[in-house]
Amino acid sequence: MDLALTKDQEMIQKSSREFFKKECPTDAVRDMRAKDQGYDKKLWKKMVKLGYSGLVFPEEYGGSDGDFVELALLMEEMGRALVPSPFFPTIQCALALLQFGSKEQKAKFLPGIAEKGTTWSIAHSERSGRLNTSDIEMMAVAEGDGFNLSGTKLFVPYAATAGRFLVTCLTKANEEAGNGENGITVFIVNPKADGVRIEGVPTVAQDGRCEVTFENVHVSEIDILGSLGKGADIIDTIIQQSAVLKAAEMYGGARAVLELTVNYTKERKQFDRPLASFQAVQHRLVNLMTEIDGLKYLVFKAAWGFAKNNPDRSINSAAKLKANAVHSAVCRQGMYLHGAIGWTEEMDIGLYHRQTRAMDFDGGSSDLHREVIACEMEKRTPLYKQVPA
Amino acid sequence: MPFRRKPLLDRTIAIYKKLIIEVIMDFGFSEEQELFRREIREFVRKNLSPDRYWGLLDEGETDEDWAFIMSISKKLAEKKWLTLSWPKEYGGLAVSHVQSMIFEQEVGYWGIPGTSMGISGTSWVGPSLMLFGTDEQKETFLPPIAAGDEDGVWCTGYSEPDSGSDLASLQTFAERVGDEYVINGQKVWTSCAHRARWMWLAARTNRDVKKKHHGISLFLVDMQSQGLKVNPLRNFVGQHFFNEVFFDDVKIPAKNLVGVENKGWSQLMTALSFERGLALGASGTMKRMLEELTEFAKESGSIRDPLVRARLADFFMEVEKLSLLGQESVWKAERGDIVIYEPSRDKANMDEILDELSRFGADMLGGYSLVHPMHKNSRWTRLKGMIEQAYYFVMGMAVAGGTTDTQRNIVANFGLKLPRS
Repeated sequence: MDLALTKDQEMIQKSSREFFKKECPTDAVRDMRAKDQGYDKKLWKKMVKLGYSGLVFPEEYGGSDGDFVELALLMEEMGRALVPSPFFPTIQCALALLQFGSKEQKAKFLPGIAEKGTTWSIAHSERSGRLNTSDIEMMAVAEGDGFNLSGTKLFVPYAATAGRFLVTCLTKANEEAGNGENGITVFIVNPKADGVRIEGVPTVAQDGRCEVTFENVHVSEIDILGSLGKGADIIDTIIQQSAVLKAAEMYGGARAVLELTVNYTKERKQFDRPLASFQAVQHRLVNLMTEIDGLKYLVFKAAWGFAKNNPDRSINSAAKLKANAVHSAVCRQGMYLHGAIGWTEEMDIGLYHRQTRAMDFDGGSSDLHREVIACEMEKRTPLYKQVPA
Repeated sequence: MPFRRKPLLDRTIAIYKKLIIEVIMDFGFSEEQELFRREIREFVRKNLSPDRYWGLLDEGETDEDWAFIMSISKKLAEKKWLTLSWPKEYGGLAVSHVQSMIFEQEVGYWGIPGTSMGISGTSWVGPSLMLFGTDEQKETFLPPIAAGDEDGVWCTGYSEPDSGSDLASLQTFAERVGDEYVINGQKVWTSCAHRARWMWLAARTNRDVKKKHHGISLFLVDMQSQGLKVNPLRNFVGQHFFNEVFFDDVKIPAKNLVGVENKGWSQLMTALSFERGLALGASGTMKRMLEELTEFAKESGSIRDPLVRARLADFFMEVEKLSLLGQESVWKAERGDIVIYEPSRDKANMDEILDELSRFGADMLGGYSLVHPMHKNSRWTRLKGMIEQAYYFVMGMAVAGGTTDTQRNIVANFGLKLPRS
């Protein structure tokens, strides 16, 4: 057990923190969020040039072979600096491509992400407004050399500028060819294909969310990710990985909000003394700090599991479950502790609170992750009942 | 500077990663450490009945319990596990902080009794004597602790009727008379005083000081001294953990002063900082409770209740978090950092989680949670009585060693560097 960062990990943490501090101060964040697409393409290009988008890809796809902990550290810094960017959905899709894509798909798409900064997005949730795979209703019907997709996907992040989508649909097994199974299939879809309609959803986080409607959109069989009817496993993996990455981002954001609030309560004087000298204030801050410290280690233990190719489902889900509680708590309580000024748009704390719902949604809700953990607990034989080998 | 590496560096790192599987930022344990864990579990299988859980119970309830606990202390001493982290010259194994942590976790999970030699021979009396004691004190007092002898069982005399969270206001007075100190006053909430052979006592030696912290000294007191009286105090469900201790002209030899007269407060603070294992043991205990409750839910069918599932998941997260926070302190100590506010942070958190977990557990047990925790053999008792034990015990635990809110004050001042209130 050694919780110190490796040299590589430290380097990423330090360099990305400096980079975002310089390139993405909070005034810039306000400007970027106000843009139609919700981010600044110039900043995105710089991030790509630094190698962020290909961080965990193998060298052959233009990446730099980083590990999952490095990726989590990068997300932490993005959370701290409130970086508006399509990084998260792009990486969600890229990780799925890496793990489930064919050789051809990887060769075709990954270098574009790593080197050109092609952005991706995941079109998964539908009218239920949840990420549960069992809620998927959109159908893909076999037609010619592939499938025709029809249905509506909701809250697709940064969809308007995405170069590709991953789209989840219900499919029937191809009985004639004797392959596949009934279930979910993940398709790679070009947003420019005929029949795709994209409409922006006005979100508080100003994070480029869209409703994407598919009307008989034809997708070739070679653009299936993984195999026919096996998409539920892919979505499960995406959710597990992105839960940890999103939790890392939320950790960075939560830590920043705590720092803002601690500094504010130290400076603000009432009754001739700093607010931070009142025990009622101190205990709130201490409780928040405790939870944020705890979140940090849940996140990095989970990320370490992925880095070692031995992810632990309960830990991954616990990280997001904790992040959902802590990120929102520190934003809300931090705002209360700021008093009325915290409620104004001039204070930075509001920039974080504007993200609380989006952060909760991406990577999976608390209920979704509670169920993952409960299933794992149910399956496990408790230690005290195990017979020694 | 971009961190994109040169291809050559990339390849070097790739090769390095293949060769060395254990890269750092490592939450795992070495083979040797895992072996130690298995050895502890083997000890448990040999020496403890699976039908009884001794956790959350320092002294047992009957003389028979106590005799059994001491027999386990003896066996632990034979393996030198009682003083695992002590230097070898004092009968320890001088193991790493990580290995001590593994022991603490297992002690909590399996409820291994008799690991502390009262309150607390192993974790602060011994280590403090190593730092501040005379050679004679070390020779006299350390071996019985390391050996798991009755003579090595300690209690700690800190709290007084008017000195709780404000410990430095203590008034029990030790007056130097010739070769002796004469002690008068009263201690209270003294856990284990009815079993201990010795007391680690904080008493005032100077009343005439500007700052109350400066007139305090530490003493080693024979519990069989004349004029010393122990009165049992029962907790609100009738269990006997702590006592009041009266000193009426109790004479102890002057050589039983620890360290420097009037410098007791800083020595005492040092002693408190030795106690890092609390969250580790408690997270082990709570992991056990949670596993037992999950099994109970599977057997009763309540595992299908979505509310039960959700709460089990929440507690999994909380216990895992607490365990990781405990590990953070261990890791910091291992690399030589001084751990200041972290144990307080974790104590406050642990109090809260145990409180919630024990209430959830009692809800799960329904009517079975009505059974008295002193009747662990009753045929209505479920889960070896550990839920009821925790449900009533937590109220005392949250207060012992600094109340939950006192701990938060420490974290506010030293962790967040907030101004004093």
